[in-house]
Amino acid sequence: MKLIVAGLNHRTAPVEVRERIAFPSAALGEATCALLGAAPLKEAAIISTCNRVELYGLAADAETAIAGMRRYLHEHHKLADSIDPYLYEFHGRDCITHLFEVVAGLDSMVLGETEILGQVKAAYAAAQHAGATGPALNRLFQKSFAAAKHVRSSTGITQGSTSVANVAVDLAEHIFRDLRASTVLVIGTGAMSEATAKALRSRGAGTLLVCGRDRERADGLAGQLGGQAIHYDDWLAEFPRVDVVISATAAPHPIITPVKLEPLMKARQQRPLFLIDIGVPRDIDGACGGMENVFLYNMDDLQQIAQENLAAREREIAVCRAMIAERVASVAAWLEQHFP
Amino acid sequence: MNERLLFWFALACYAGASALTARRLQRGSPEGTLHHASLGLMVAAFALQTLAMLWRGQHLGRCPLTNLFEVQVFIAWSAVLFYLLIGSSYRVSFLGAFSAPLVAVVLAMALLAPIDVPARTPDKHSAWVEFHAAIGILACGALALASVVGAMYLVQERQLKSRRPGRLLFLLPAVDQLDVIGFRLLLVGFVLLTVGMAGGVVSQRIVEPWPWPKTVWAVVVWCWYALLLGGRAMNWWRGRKAACGAVAGFVFTLASYWGATWLAQ
Repeated sequence: MKLIVAGLNHRTAPVEVRERIAFPSAALGEATCALLGAAPLKEAAIISTCNRVELYGLAADAETAIAGMRRYLHEHHKLADSIDPYLYEFHGRDCITHLFEVVAGLDSMVLGETEILGQVKAAYAAAQHAGATGPALNRLFQKSFAAAKHVRSSTGITQGSTSVANVAVDLAEHIFRDLRASTVLVIGTGAMSEATAKALRSRGAGTLLVCGRDRERADGLAGQLGGQAIHYDDWLAEFPRVDVVISATAAPHPIITPVKLEPLMKARQQRPLFLIDIGVPRDIDGACGGMENVFLYNMDDLQQIAQENLAAREREIAVCRAMIAERVASVAAWLEQHFP
Repeated sequence: MNERLLFWFALACYAGASALTARRLQRGSPEGTLHHASLGLMVAAFALQTLAMLWRGQHLGRCPLTNLFEVQVFIAWSAVLFYLLIGSSYRVSFLGAFSAPLVAVVLAMALLAPIDVPARTPDKHSAWVEFHAAIGILACGALALASVVGAMYLVQERQLKSRRPGRLLFLLPAVDQLDVIGFRLLLVGFVLLTVGMAGGVVSQRIVEPWPWPKTVWAVVVWCWYALLLGGRAMNWWRGRKAACGAVAGFVFTLASYWGATWLAQ
């Protein structure tokens, strides 16, 4: 008996192909049962996310089973063209390694992302609920979840965001212990300030104030993110209660300077202040970053950190693979013993 | 086996926890095996140290605070006690990582320096004197941990100010959390210090001659922390200044206590 996987992902297939063979999450259980009927498999499970579709199975004859899986994909999705050039397949130990790397986020488009673990858990639960899994796949998936958690907690593979907006949120979380209690002020309503405000909001930022010269856009963004629009001339008055400032105006000169900021910091009782300057030309005088309890980052800083984080994650891959290899060997030995 | 051997074993555990910290820093792993192993070593070291102190106390027939060695050992013990209490309640696992090297250094200084000699003019056995000494040293433990938190603040602030933060950023808590924890530890330490000093005033009639160097030392330390807390409460200074004050305060406390003790002898 052999574990096998056939599938495609963001690296082997364009989105036009991936979207054609994706399975809706509500239909995963039913689709897995259909796969068991269509291919000579003892056990089966299907993973379907926006970046990958993979069919896992336990088969006596790997070649015949893989052919059955390919046929199933064609027939189930009523495809006119062949998708064979986009498909990959792994057998035995390679199949185990592949799943472990997928679940740990090593095979993801955003290296080290953690959403994949939840997606694979849901796919496994659907297959298990449909009665399509057995001892082999149960062990394979459960061990892959444990390995992913170990890799995440013991290495830096998930550390540091790789997008500018999320880098800003990461920094905010290391300045303020509880983002829910913080107030964010967005000055200017460009695409970057919108993305950063969205990221802060999604990670729990409490109050959001939006102001811009274009009042209509400010109202729109505030409404979209559940914030409050304020008049552009009022942002200084709101400053004492603000913790994070995202500034992206088209002003030709800095709108926040040390002279302006000093009395405001006193009014804020010297609480920490996080200034995110994504305006070009810059909205915040660089000297503000030297003031006590003020943390200033501009667009270049955030981009540089995002790139460094990605490079750091890439350096962790070898360590993660070594950790995974030990656990893969253990699962492979167990399968060999119980499913010779 | 004697109690000094137990102290050495405890020191080995603290040193082991410090080594694991260095490894964690190198690997950049926030939680996981290294953290659990490090915490295990801290707990083991604390248990060994407690056992050694109990042993010594039983041998002396009183609280083991008769000489500089015992005082220093007690300070290290109190710092770990506060870490074990605070670390879990604030979920700041890396506090232990920063505490382990400090405690190891304080304990190593105590074990290596020729300071474990019987007191020339031992305090008269009195519950008040013991209370005064024990509470005063517990206060030093809280203030030691406040200095560790202050050091963590300075490191994290430096990371954030540099605009090129490294792995440490992800291992340390948020700066405003460190500011709050540091303030609360200072407050606890200050209250204990005040109670301990009050105990010292009550025991005035028992101790002769009156140890002036130690009294002056205690008053200076008390004033320093009163100023630090007052300034922090009034928002005159917080963050970096408060953190520097906590670190400098503890270094001064420890260094001047050595000096005051020698002068008193």
